[in-house]
This record gives sequence, structure tokens and C-alpha cells, in this order.
Amino acid sequence: MAPAQQVVPSGAASLVQGTNAPGPVQPHARDADGHAARREQRDQRNDTWFRYVVTGCALFVLIALLGAALSMLWGGREAFGTFGWSFLWSSDWDAVQKKFGALVPIYGTLITALIAMIIAVPVSFGISLFLTEIAPAWMRTPVSAAVELLAAIPSIIYGMWGLFVFVPFMGDHVDPWLDEHVGPLPIIGPLFQGPPIGLGMLTAGIVLGIMVIPFVSSVMREVFITVPVQLKESAYAVGNTTWEVVWDIVLPYTRSAVIGGIFLGLGRALGETMAVTFVLGNAHLLSPSLLQPGNSIAATIANEFTEADSSIYLSSLIALGFLLFVVTFIVLAIARVMLGQLAKRGGKL
Amino acid sequence: MNRWRRRQLQDYIAKILATLATFFGLFWLTWILWTTASKGLSALKWGLFTQMTPAPGSDGGLLNAFAGSLVMCGVAVLIGTPIGIGAGTYLSEYARDTRLGFTIRFVNDILLSAPSIVIGLFIYELMVRPMGHFSAWAGAVALSFIVLPVVVRTTDEMLQLVPTVMRESALALGVPQWKVVRQVLYRAALSGILTGVLLALARISGETAPVLFTALNNQYWTSNLNQPMANVPVVIFQYALSPFEFWHALAWAGAFVVVIFVLILSLTSRWLVARGQVSV
Amino acid sequence: MNDTSKVTAISAVNSAVRPPDTAAKITARNVNFYYGKTRALKDVGLVIQEKRVTALIGPSGCGKSTLLRVFNRMYAIYPKQRAEGEILLDGENVLDPRYSINRLRTKVGMVFQKPVPFPMSIYDNVAYALRHYENLSRTAMNDRVEESLKDAALWDEVKDTLNNSALSLSGGQQQRLCIARAIALKPEVLLLDEPTSALDPISTAKVEQLIDELKANYTVLIVTHNMQQAARVSEFTGFMFLGELIEFGITSDMFTHPDHKKTEDYITGRFG
Repeated sequence: MAPAQQVVPSGAASLVQGTNAPGPVQPHARDADGHAARREQRDQRNDTWFRYVVTGCALFVLIALLGAALSMLWGGREAFGTFGWSFLWSSDWDAVQKKFGALVPIYGTLITALIAMIIAVPVSFGISLFLTEIAPAWMRTPVSAAVELLAAIPSIIYGMWGLFVFVPFMGDHVDPWLDEHVGPLPIIGPLFQGPPIGLGMLTAGIVLGIMVIPFVSSVMREVFITVPVQLKESAYAVGNTTWEVVWDIVLPYTRSAVIGGIFLGLGRALGETMAVTFVLGNAHLLSPSLLQPGNSIAATIANEFTEADSSIYLSSLIALGFLLFVVTFIVLAIARVMLGQLAKRGGKL
Repeated sequence: MNRWRRRQLQDYIAKILATLATFFGLFWLTWILWTTASKGLSALKWGLFTQMTPAPGSDGGLLNAFAGSLVMCGVAVLIGTPIGIGAGTYLSEYARDTRLGFTIRFVNDILLSAPSIVIGLFIYELMVRPMGHFSAWAGAVALSFIVLPVVVRTTDEMLQLVPTVMRESALALGVPQWKVVRQVLYRAALSGILTGVLLALARISGETAPVLFTALNNQYWTSNLNQPMANVPVVIFQYALSPFEFWHALAWAGAFVVVIFVLILSLTSRWLVARGQVSV
Repeated sequence: MNDTSKVTAISAVNSAVRPPDTAAKITARNVNFYYGKTRALKDVGLVIQEKRVTALIGPSGCGKSTLLRVFNRMYAIYPKQRAEGEILLDGENVLDPRYSINRLRTKVGMVFQKPVPFPMSIYDNVAYALRHYENLSRTAMNDRVEESLKDAALWDEVKDTLNNSALSLSGGQQQRLCIARAIALKPEVLLLDEPTSALDPISTAKVEQLIDELKANYTVLIVTHNMQQAARVSEFTGFMFLGELIEFGITSDMFTHPDHKKTEDYITGRFG
């Protein structure tokens, strides 16, 4: 008699195991002999089958991630094999000579993401502060809904607006001003010297920053709300100002989750494709100036994939994708760990 | 200035800055939406929905793009939703506190925020290369991988919200577990799960990167899913970066329609959530 | 003194209000229960008589609900919980892994503290288990649903609105619906876990009257934190404390002259 698992929910191992043979199980009092036993077996079978199916679906999630990683590693093998580690710091990008290096895209990705976070973090903090401590109750839902809307707008819309509206604005008004007034300054000057074309790292960084705001601020807001009211009220009771309560009590209490939210935003900024593609300029240029165009990993892939005419070219692009995947995976994993710690403490995230 | 006054000033400045930050965020939102609306509305015309995407330099419509997007998004939802609900069911009913459950939730959260271009490359390797050509199937599959983590997470959370008493009441009647999940729990969590699907749909309808090198684009109408298929985001991408004024206008019109679609979906899902909470 | 394993309902005391003995429906022997490493029930033994109402009382955390949930193996869905010992229902040990849980639950029904109607119509709620277990024609199903609702004293209030959502009922009605749902399969035993603690006094009175009517056909085991309710509805009462069954006997005896000091202290309100 083969032992059959009795299916129980909410547990990895079943608690009750036993045989399912018709012998010891007596027939149901009001049913024909064996009819109940057959139904029993059918129910057991269906429960087991159901459990297998949903477990398979869940495992599929794991397979998806693994598959993505492996497939890009496979696709990039030619590039990795040909260039080796130097792929990471070479600034070559020559389709004719078939020499490619990831330095320029990596540089662009990191710089634009950095600018984005410099903008997004304080703004998100301000918005969360506003929504949790300052705004009157009636204002909170509509304003937070509006901020959420920034996340709902597809990135290609950001790209369109960026290219047709924001870039000209930057090129006509902001870039020349920066070039003229900040450019000559020592140390930070070289960051802001460049042609007034509007396209460039600074523009891309600003657009990215706006896109990332809703992600960081929604995490911050959710987390600020989980601070126990008694904690805040006792601080107010001894005369602390709102700002002091937030800075001295709320932030320390929610520190790991706030960092988690920031990493979440960073992960998004690193991987953003369309908005950056439209406004970064797609130039394989390594320059310290933020006003110069550049390239990011995602933008390079998006712009050049369909035109890659050699297998090494294609492989280099996929290898870039793999690099992006690894970096965002690490950043998002850190974010998840930081956010998970607060979830365990009682806040739901 | 004494300490108390300094603290008050700090507080005041902080509040001002916070309010300014909020205006800052809303300012960009308004600017972007206003631009999309004004440029999009002025480019709207009846031909948008009756003509196909035009040859370089000429004018036309976006009919095949709208149709293609609808088809691919529809197939993506059809593929991703059942698997997502299944995975979410597993997490909620069989793995609330287990190590495997933790791992799957962790991986799912990463998938949720992963760059969509990575998904595009994955499906390129998985489907386009072996098949030898781009296809709408590949595009739909790529989109389904974006639908999946959203549905998994929402289903997991919504099923966990169903009170334990309801689960126990149904099991106490002697009804087998799979029936309890299907007939009682899914029903109880229905509006929440549906919201997840709508949110996923809203997200994929604007996604360009995953479709860019899987379904590519098609200037003509096609009903063969084995061929590249036109879709709105890629059309917008190509037309916006082109030198033709006609095409810029079409891109704006497409962008406007996408934004309206996404807004309606977002509002509907918000409404569903509010309604679901009332009846619980 | 506390050899609770040997306590039975057939106590030796003669009493004017002693109900005539019926057959032993459920016999519990040496029942132990564990939440992980914690032992929540310690060597509990008792006999539940057929077609009588037996109440379990005791302070919070004494294990009365835990014990109740052992009778239909409700704990089985939680991997960290397990029960040991024997519970004989009509002579068969239902804690035996070979005894099918679902079959047990068709014989032993349960009503919970919080009324939870399923998100479907009133009719579908009552018919829910029937549809799985019995192959009935439309008319036969209608009859069974009507019968259950009548037995639960809800029929008159819902007979014209059977297709309305069950969520539209009031709290007391929802609880009676849950009772109707539980008795639809005609179980032999009904477990009631504080069935009226979430209800208003009027609904409570209706449910208590219902219990009085139900005992004609069902063996009822009710857990309640309300001593007066136990005194009102039950023939036999068990007092539990810290996982042990301290005393078990005829309700009127227990409340007028309890054997154990702990019982007396609880009943007179010295703790609880």
C-alpha cells in the first residue's frame, strides 16, 4: 500500500500521513458502499493535483529569473569571451572594427542614476513629510494619488515630453546659463561646460529623477505611517516641533526601510530605458561634463539592437544587458532586504 | 537668537521646503500631462483609427498599431494571469512561512522592478533567435513576464487578507481544499485580484523595451501572430525620433491615447479597491 | 484528586435535575495538544452524551477552544500543531490518520465565533457542502436548503430573498445562516465555538433558543466564556483551567455545589 500524502494548507510538509486504502475507512453511513470511499480518493487526488499545479506556477517565477540571467549570459558569451574583463573598462565602440567596451554606457548609466537620486531623494522626503505631517486630511488622498500618477505614466511618454519640450527648454535656457556662469568656476566648472543642445546627462538625470520620485516617496510615506502614534505623540508632548519629531524619531525608526526605498528608486533609475534613450543623445562620448550627451546601457541596447550587423556587435549588446541585470539585481536585492526588515517589525510593505 | 526660536525657524523652513517639494512634483506631473494632452489632442483625427501606419515621409493612422497592441497585451494577460494566480495561491495557501515561500516572494519582488529591457533580451534569446524571426508571440510572451510578478504579488496579498475564519468555516464543512480555494477564497479576493490584473495591463500597454526586439514593428496590418506586429509604443519610438513632422504628430496622438488608456485603467482599479473594501 | 482521565459524565450524584443518560457519543481519552513545543492540553478525558448539550467553560487561555477544535481536527491545516490521544466517535478513533478528515467533518460540524457567510447567495451558502457531497435534483436541493434554514430558525426571514447575497444579512441572521450551513449535511455532532459572543442580546437569545431545539437531533458541544449562558443552555458542563479538565458534571450540580475549589472560585468570580 503506497502511503498517500494528506494535503494540508499552510505548510511545507504535511502533518498527517496515512494510507488511503478503502479497507480501514468505513463507508459513509448514508451512502452506498464504496461511493463515499471513491469520492474520498477523488478529493484526495484533486487536492494533490491542485497543489502540484500551484507549486509549479510558483516555481516558474524562480525559473523566470534564472532563465533571464542565463539567457543573457549565453547571448553575451561571444563578447565576454572575446574581450574578457577589459570589456568593463574599455571605451571602444566601433562597429566597423568590431571592438566594443562597456565603459561609456556604464558611466552614463551611473551618472544619470546618481543625478536622478540627488533630485529624487530630498524631493520624495519632502513630499512624504508633507503628506504625513503637514497636509490637512482632505488633501492627502488626492495629492498622493497625483504623485502616484507620475509612476503610472509610461516611460515613453516621459521620453516624448523630454525630447520635444524639456530638451529645447534646457538647451535654450538652462544649459547656456550653466555654461556661462558655472562653467568658469574652479572644480565644479568642468561639470557644466558644454554646448547648449539640451540633450545630455543633466537633462536625462532630471527626467529620471522625476520618474523615480513616486517610487521612493510611496515607500517613505507607507513607512512613516507605521511609526506608532504613541511614539510621536510623546515626542510632541515634551515640546518637539514637527521637524524634530520627523528627524529624530520617525527617520531613525524607519531608517532601513527608507534606505530600502532609495535603493528601489535607484534600481528603477538604473534600468530605465525609453525616457533616457530620447534625451541622452546616444553619443559614445566619455566626458566629465553633464551638459554633454552620452549613453546608458539601456539606451545603447534600445538604439542599436536592431541595427547590429555582426554577431559580436549583438553579443556585446546582450553582454551589456547582462551587466545591467547583475547591477540592478544587486540593488533591488538590497532594497528588498531593507524593506523586508520593516515588514517583519510590523509595518506591511 | 535663542534656542527655541532657532528650532521654530528650523521647523518652519522644513515645512516650507516640504510643501515646495510637493509642488515641485506636481508641477512636473502637470507639465507632462498638459503637454501630452495639448499636442495629442491637436494631432487627433479620425484617420488615426482608420488608417495604417504610413510609409516614411507620408501621413496615415495608427490602426494596425492599436490593434497589435490590443492583441499582444490581451495575449500577455491571458498567459501571465493564470500562472500568476497559481503562484500567488501557492504562496498564500501553502507557503506563508516557509523558506521556499520567502525565496519566491523575494525573487518575485525583484522581477517586479527589474528593467523591462532585460525581459526583452531574455525573450529574444528564448524565442526570436530559435524561431529565426520576430513575432507577435514573442512580444506577447515578453509582456506576460511583466504581468506575472504583478499578479503574483496582488494574488498573494489579497488571498492573505481573506480572514482565516472563512477558510476554516469552509474546511469545517468537509469540502476538499482545492474547492475551498476556488469557490470561496477566490470569490472573496476577486476584486483585489482583478485590480492586480488591471494594474498589470496598464503597465504593459505603455511598455516599449520588451517589445522592441521581440515583436519589432510592422508597417502593415497583420493578423498572423507569427509575424512582427505593429504596436503603439514602438511606433511612437520610431516616429518620434524620425525627421518627419507628420510622424511626430502621429507619435503624439499615439502617446495621448496610451496615457488616456492607462489613466482609465488606473482609476478603474482604484475604484475596484474602494468598492471591494466596502463590501468586506 | 485530579485524575481527570477518569472523569465521566455519569457521575455518582443523584440529583433531581439529572437528565436521563443517553449513549456516549464521543469519548475522549488522554488527549494532549501541542502548539510547537508548548503543551496546551494535558491528558483530557471526557464523555459527551448523545443528543445533549455539553458546555465547556473556563478563563481565557484555558484550552476550551483548543479542545473543541480537536474534535474536528481543525488544527490539521497548521503544521506546528498536533494532537495525541484518542477521540472515539461511535467507537472509531477519529484522531487516527487513517480516519479521513473530510469524512469526520461531515459528521462533526462547526460554527465559529465570528459569523462568516461565504461571498455568495444565501441559498448557495447553505447548499455549499450539499453540492459536493450529495447528488440532488433541483427540487430535492431546494427542500434540503429549506429544511436547514427552518431548523436554524432563519427560513421565515429569508425565504423570499434566497438569492440575495448573504452579506446583506444582519449579524444575528448571519450566524444563524452559518448554523444552517453547518447542519445542511446533517452531521451528528455540532461544535459551537462561542457562537454568540459577537452578537447582540436579542440575537443571542434567538441562538440559545435554537440550541435548545437543535439538541433534539444533534449532539451539541458549546464553548462559552459566559457562565450564565452555560447554565442556561447545557445539561453537562466541563470546567477547564490551564489546559486541564478540572471538573465535569451535570450543569446544575456544577453551579450549585462544585467539587473543586478552582471551579468554585471561577464560578463565584474570584478570578476569570
